[in-house]
Amino acid sequence: MGESVLELNPATASAPPVARRRWRAGPLWTALQVVLSASLLLLFLLPIVALFTYAPVSHIFGAWSNVQVRAALWLTFFASGIAVLAAVVFGIPLGYLLARRAFPGRGVVEAFVALPVVIPHLLVGLGLFLLFIPGTPIYRFSQSIGFPVYDTIWGVVLVMVFVSTPYTVLASMLSFRAVDGRVLEAARSLGAGSAVAFLTVTFPLALRGIVAGLLLSWARAVSEIGGLLVLAYAVYPAGPYTGPVTSTISIYIYDEFQGGNLAGAAAVSSLFLLMAFALFLLVRVGERSGWLPWRRGELAP
Amino acid sequence: MTRWVVERVETALDRFQLGPVSLDLSPGSAVAVLGTSGAGKTTLLRTLAGFLRPRQGRILRDGVDISQWLPEERGLGYVPQGLGLFPQRTVVRNIRYPMEIRGLSDAGRRTAELMERFHLTGLADRYPSRLSGGEQQRVAIARALAAEPTLIVWDEPWQGLDVVARYELGQVLHELRETDRIPMVVVTHDPSLAFSVADTFLLLRNGQVQDQCDATSLLRAPSDAFAARFVGYENVFESDDLRGGAPGAFRAWLRQQAGPDGIAFPSPDPSRPPSNGPLFELIVRSARPGPTGVTIDGHCDELPVSLRRPPPVAPPLPAPGTRLRFSIPSETLLPLGPRRPPGVGT
Repeated sequence: MGESVLELNPATASAPPVARRRWRAGPLWTALQVVLSASLLLLFLLPIVALFTYAPVSHIFGAWSNVQVRAALWLTFFASGIAVLAAVVFGIPLGYLLARRAFPGRGVVEAFVALPVVIPHLLVGLGLFLLFIPGTPIYRFSQSIGFPVYDTIWGVVLVMVFVSTPYTVLASMLSFRAVDGRVLEAARSLGAGSAVAFLTVTFPLALRGIVAGLLLSWARAVSEIGGLLVLAYAVYPAGPYTGPVTSTISIYIYDEFQGGNLAGAAAVSSLFLLMAFALFLLVRVGERSGWLPWRRGELAP
Repeated sequence: MTRWVVERVETALDRFQLGPVSLDLSPGSAVAVLGTSGAGKTTLLRTLAGFLRPRQGRILRDGVDISQWLPEERGLGYVPQGLGLFPQRTVVRNIRYPMEIRGLSDAGRRTAELMERFHLTGLADRYPSRLSGGEQQRVAIARALAAEPTLIVWDEPWQGLDVVARYELGQVLHELRETDRIPMVVVTHDPSLAFSVADTFLLLRNGQVQDQCDATSLLRAPSDAFAARFVGYENVFESDDLRGGAPGAFRAWLRQQAGPDGIAFPSPDPSRPPSNGPLFELIVRSARPGPTGVTIDGHCDELPVSLRRPPPVAPPLPAPGTRLRFSIPSETLLPLGPRRPPGVGT
């Protein structure tokens, strides 16, 4: 019955096959996207699952009782915290400058900021090593002000700042650029001076991107290994660090792996991952609960 | 009540030159700045608001030259295109902003008053992204008034609004003029909306003032084809349009009647008895009904012509290819050319 109706209806009978194919292309396209995305997500997920499943849970939490592990974690979090602070103090203003001020050579500075992202990090370590080689004025200066860099926490901080701050600079620059100038002009004509307009309008609107940049900077800092292998492989007590001779957590895990202690490496890695996840989770919760201001008004700078 | 005077202001922006522009903005006055994109409308507003410094001329507020003052010092409510609402602040916090940064003690009371006046009380905790276009406009104007401006400068107030919201905004702007007596400068692409609000019209073209007059003058004597089209004349022919082309009585007659820059006339009514002028024949291309009657488009001597049959709209509409006779009442013809000095002719 249905077929005869189709045949009798010239409009339906002559329905162009192209239209039918297009109708079917939707689900196919969606399926392709799902498969491709799932493949990538699996690639992200599986190594993490492998880490967590290789070491028994007791080993993961047992790693915390190891003084060496705790020292490495402390050093890593402390040094990366200072690197993030440096990104806030130096990186955000530079991002603002690049976003909002026109000056000769701005393009060159922009390219220069991105340089540390593309340089192999072993070279970063080597460059810093040569810069602070004994006898150079910079070496003498760092010694005189009590910031020796070779195999000290300051060396770790220096490498981390070098490799991680560009992420904050670039994210801040893009976020400040994304702030609608008309909103700023409205604020100015409502009586806000340039500083007040920055604090009440520009900065809050750019904050989401800036925080994303800071998180990237932190992640980059804690995962650094190449530069540290050259400049601060082992960290001796100096400055704020007074514990036993240690290294950053990345180097500690690398040493464990090199020494054949695969279970130990996996356990410490898992412990560190849990801590890193906790930090990211905290930001997400803050974002969802409205404690962090950028979801207000559902902004997407 | 504050009086603003703009004296031969010129602004340079890259290669673009605006001006000289002169305006007298006494309390209760409203100027509509008209012109196509790139004419310099926004440049003028940003100059008034202090975001661009004039190269020449003065901006006087009650006789004080404020041309070099910073935007925050001018006491002027600038509403940019897109309104510039703070997306991270709720409605109430948007409106309170100017009072908040001044540290005013009665900010809460003033905010509540403004919210009530603009029917925003129920929307206090919403973010701008959750408001309709009309609601956003009301927030923008309430926030501008919270700063107690002595002049309101609004770039494209009607942009993106539906018909109802446009009407409501027109009412708000009327109220601002009549109740608050705050002078206003509004920029618009839409002359019909401008006529509903403003008493003076500034028509800009390529940064130059093409016309500056009241509504009647602008309608009765647009200075050229651009101005005539802008104010809504359907039949506008520049001198070049009338030269050459297919020879014919209509073209020749228009050429005779035209001024140095061409001629304009409103849509003639084909159902009216022939006027004192000659009769012509239109070949219909399309006809569409509307509240002002049936608009019939077609051509005569290869010139596009629009006719309008007044309401009531009754079928049948003229079919394409139909020939309709029409004449143009001579009193509706507008020869285009430089504006005549006031008092000379009509």
